[in-house]
Amino acid sequence: MEKLLEFKNISKAFPGVQALDNVSFSARGGAVSALLGENGAGKSTLLKILSGDIQPDAGSVCIDGEDRRFASPYQSIKASVSVIYQERQLLGAMNVMENVFLDDLHEKFGIVNRSELKRKTQEIIDIFELPVKPTDIVGRLSVAHQQMIEIMKAYRRGSDIIAFDEPTAPLTDKEIAILFKLIRELKERGKIILYVSHRMAEIFQITDDIIVLKDGQLVTTLRTSGTNERELVKAMVGRDIGDTYSNLKRNEIMGDVLLEVKNLETDYVHDVSFELRRGEVLGFAGLVGAGRTEVMRAVFGADPIISGEIKLEGKPVRFKKPKDAIGSGIALCPEDRKDQGLILGRSIRDNVSIPVLSKLKRGLFMSYRAEEALAAEAVRKYSIRTPSTDKRTVELSGGNQQKTILGRWTSDKMVTKVLILDEPTKGIDVGTKAEVYQMIHDFAATGIGVIFISSELPEVLNVSDNIIVMQNGRVTGRVSRQEATEELVVAMSMLE
Amino acid sequence: MGAAERVKNFLKSKTFTLLCILVAIMAFFWYFSANHSFLSVRNITSILYSMVLFILFSIGVSLLVIFGEFDLSPGYVGTAAGATLATILSGTGIPWFLVMLICLLLGIVFGLINAVLVNKFRVQSFIATLAVGSFLAKGFSYIISGGRAIAIDHPVIDWLASYKLWDVVPVTVIISVALILVYGIVLAKTQFGRSIYLCGGNKEAARLAGLDPKKLSYLLFANSGMLGAMAGVLFASRLKSGNLDGTNSYSFPAVTAVIFGGISFGGGSGNMVGCFLGLLIINAFNNGLTIMRVSPNWTGVASGALLILALTLDYLSNRRVRRQIGGKTS
Repeated sequence: MEKLLEFKNISKAFPGVQALDNVSFSARGGAVSALLGENGAGKSTLLKILSGDIQPDAGSVCIDGEDRRFASPYQSIKASVSVIYQERQLLGAMNVMENVFLDDLHEKFGIVNRSELKRKTQEIIDIFELPVKPTDIVGRLSVAHQQMIEIMKAYRRGSDIIAFDEPTAPLTDKEIAILFKLIRELKERGKIILYVSHRMAEIFQITDDIIVLKDGQLVTTLRTSGTNERELVKAMVGRDIGDTYSNLKRNEIMGDVLLEVKNLETDYVHDVSFELRRGEVLGFAGLVGAGRTEVMRAVFGADPIISGEIKLEGKPVRFKKPKDAIGSGIALCPEDRKDQGLILGRSIRDNVSIPVLSKLKRGLFMSYRAEEALAAEAVRKYSIRTPSTDKRTVELSGGNQQKTILGRWTSDKMVTKVLILDEPTKGIDVGTKAEVYQMIHDFAATGIGVIFISSELPEVLNVSDNIIVMQNGRVTGRVSRQEATEELVVAMSMLE
Repeated sequence: MGAAERVKNFLKSKTFTLLCILVAIMAFFWYFSANHSFLSVRNITSILYSMVLFILFSIGVSLLVIFGEFDLSPGYVGTAAGATLATILSGTGIPWFLVMLICLLLGIVFGLINAVLVNKFRVQSFIATLAVGSFLAKGFSYIISGGRAIAIDHPVIDWLASYKLWDVVPVTVIISVALILVYGIVLAKTQFGRSIYLCGGNKEAARLAGLDPKKLSYLLFANSGMLGAMAGVLFASRLKSGNLDGTNSYSFPAVTAVIFGGISFGGGSGNMVGCFLGLLIINAFNNGLTIMRVSPNWTGVASGALLILALTLDYLSNRRVRRQIGGKTS
């Protein structure tokens, strides 16, 4: 009998927002169902309800026609459901086998049977084709491998229902290929698979059905084979956004050399040189872990430099801490918005004003009025969706969080000359992505030099004026937008 | 923000919870104390007097806890400062103000040692400050005093210990209340204070946004050491002696009061009003028990019950907020 997972009339409200509003759809066994929607559409909430992490206000989850209500993740796992979240839930200090077999440590008389555990873990590792050992400490593995171990946990349980929340975000192409092979195999074994992703190409590659959500409501359900990218985007955004890149109003004027990095050497990167001009959008392409973030952190004074030369407007500089770099006009939006970009417990206002606090004083004290004016301007300029600047940034969607950080670096109290954006569109929805691309060129038009790190090839190729490709901590290629093709950049970032 | 919303926020705040507890305690002891003597000027002064040293210790610790660190050393540093004061005052002709300056500098040095351990050697502040306090500072007290209590006989110390404004308010009460007021304003209103909150929220994010958490850490540990030394000087002046146990036992109660006052261990939240109210509640409660002649054997248990009650109320009123932020900020 074919398995069936049904969501029936699910509603869930959080303070101030209706996360899900009467959502009903079903997912069948032996098929991969994509959950598609912008940030805040309700995908994560659905997964949390499925996993028993939160309970719906109304409606029910049915498996094979039977009404199931999970009061806790434990119950959901017992009912053969595995949800793999974006945030990895691993024990960093424990090894691979302990993590994979966390809830079933093969005890014999209450004592963990290590050899048995090791053997079984190795079997799974072989299926996943990973270069790790069962005894490796998980916290020391790369992010991509950690993600694969998270997936191993679900695989090991042999659950009938497996939900993936953006599983490929931290993975490199190699692991993605393995993951897709596994997903296809699970599909053939009749499992029900839910798949959340923002990457269109993946949706068409791996899924069979598509469930589109918007603002907590079901928009439509489609067969993947019977639709196309444009139709999907329209369903998600509620309007036809056309071709993002051809609608982009590019900045065409480039000035003199602004930032010059020569033979930069740190613990992570080697012999890196590049130039950035005023008004230029300089893309950095490469695989996750190629060293792009590390180059920028060194330039920004966040990580120590071993040797090399950095010139800003022709003058040699070497920043000991980010504060000094900011003082000289360099700004960095880190890749990890939540851990490094924002102070989540504080308001939009407090997050925007951080680097210019000293300019927002009246006498000895902070001026509420000046701070409020600064933050309100950022909210207005970038149309951050919030009732007031008092809202804590933890409550904002990914796109609005990113806009808050951009607001911080581009306020009229800042003199930003070089703006470094590290994966600025990661995890944000299609509509907002297009906005961010336009912002990048608007910044460039004011004479700012923008460094744009991205692991998504289409965007880095289409948005940047010039592209630098990195691999294993070294620069392996430089191309202009006109010369750049996906094949060329992939070759530069992967081939020796 | 509208007035209605402000009132709503206040009713949800920790300050409001603390005020309710305080009023309840005041009303209870006022009603049950003989002749309603609990709220007499004399008794209120006596409550404030019992708070003086705790206030000094708690200010430094509060700032560090909001910043996301911790300090268990100031009680021991106070003892070291008291012993130093007694030793130098009785043994040399160095003028009193220089001696006091030396004591405060000593506190700053201990604070800086804490900061070096935490920043350079990455020792957790709980362990580092416990080690610096209970071994270094304590050992220092023994060494400088030769292992015995040294009596102090000095007019300025006498004045500090016994002078009362209008014959009612001890000068040390004025010093401590003035200090917590100033620190409260600095914390709430200045760029320095804001930086403490921001770093407490997320040090790495604050650093990447242009703040200097390391520098702040040194400043705050030094400050806590200095305030600890100041408290030690006041304690020694009360006893007129550099006692070897000194203020050692004050470290943990000071931390307790800070937490009681709603300054959470996660960092990034809390304020001086809460710290002051927390101290006031604990001391008023103890004072009330004494007035009502509750056996001292039971006062510890009663204080513990009060603390648990306050923390439970706080947990209940903040449960929703905490669920939203999750483990991300701490």
